[in-house]
Amino acid sequence: MKKNKAKVLWDLFFTFFKIGALTIGGGLAMLPIIEKEIVDKKGYIGKEEIVDAFAVSQSLPGVIAINSAIYVGYRIAGFIGALVTAFGVVLPSFIIILLIAVLFSTVSGNPVIDKALTGAKAGIAGVIATAVVRLGKRVIKDIFASVLAVAAFVMALFLEINIALIILLGALSGLIFYRLRRLKKNGSA
Amino acid sequence: MVLLRLFLIFAKIGLLGFGGGYSIITMIQKELMAIGWITAEEFANIAAISQMTPGPIAVNAATYVGYRVGGFWGSALATFGVSLPSFVLVILAAHFILKFKESKTLEACMRGIRPVTIALIASAFIFFAFESFVDLTMPLYISPGAFAIFVMAILASIAIKMDTILIIILSAVLGLIIL
Repeated sequence: MKKNKAKVLWDLFFTFFKIGALTIGGGLAMLPIIEKEIVDKKGYIGKEEIVDAFAVSQSLPGVIAINSAIYVGYRIAGFIGALVTAFGVVLPSFIIILLIAVLFSTVSGNPVIDKALTGAKAGIAGVIATAVVRLGKRVIKDIFASVLAVAAFVMALFLEINIALIILLGALSGLIFYRLRRLKKNGSA
Repeated sequence: MVLLRLFLIFAKIGLLGFGGGYSIITMIQKELMAIGWITAEEFANIAAISQMTPGPIAVNAATYVGYRVGGFWGSALATFGVSLPSFVLVILAAHFILKFKESKTLEACMRGIRPVTIALIASAFIFFAFESFVDLTMPLYISPGAFAIFVMAILASIAIKMDTILIIILSAVLGLIIL
């Protein structure tokens, strides 16, 4: 039994290490690969549970890839499982970025690298612009949400208000607007 | 002292960073630029590299920023800090998954938070625009080459649904050729 658990932990570590090392494009790009490895190939957890895992990972704060690694690791092998999967998914980034950080200080300021980086940044601006429109359409569905989005944008960009505070204000406004209003309505009806 | 501060800042980002990579990147940028640990240009470069290398964007950015501020231990503590709140929150959510899914209070908070994350992603767009094709030192000046790359990236994303990473790598190549 003990030997079996150690084997599962190693397997979890390598699976998430592989996912961390091979997926470019961040957490959302990892989700289908996690599903393929953990549900389809290994059958560690069921299809329904992975849907829960991904829903939780995306609605909680934090890095989506780490959240889903922790959820899956915890479900399969408890707290140690969560440690192992989180460590596995983060480790490749850590190693690769450390290498780049060390190398980059020697090439930064190089005009060729600067041109490529400026091109990449312009491309990223385009990618993010389309993400704003795509996600905005999905999220901003009533006047309250649009007012909140505009207010948060002004607070972040022009008033330089701390982002953590803006997020807490958003949560509080949501709570007051969607929850208390309904409770009040139900109470008076 | 710097290491402790670095850890606490990234723990705060892990605790309140809703909405995934682009949204978290705005949070990292604002927090670190407010302290003066990093310049806008340096952060933009870090964020660009973070998107072209494997792994979650926020972890990549945390590792890189941590290294710049506090060397190896800085990057280890930044990454540990940004992951730590997830352990508590995700394990709690896994235990109370039914309550988590059905809680009206939580859903109301999330409905307030989601528009804020859109605003943060929009801020990330403004940031990258200013770091690539808009020049603050010359009002109303837009770098034509970088702007052309920006427009092409939008077209590639919408019209032919090109993979994001491919778009960014092609943009870097175009930058090399035309800028």
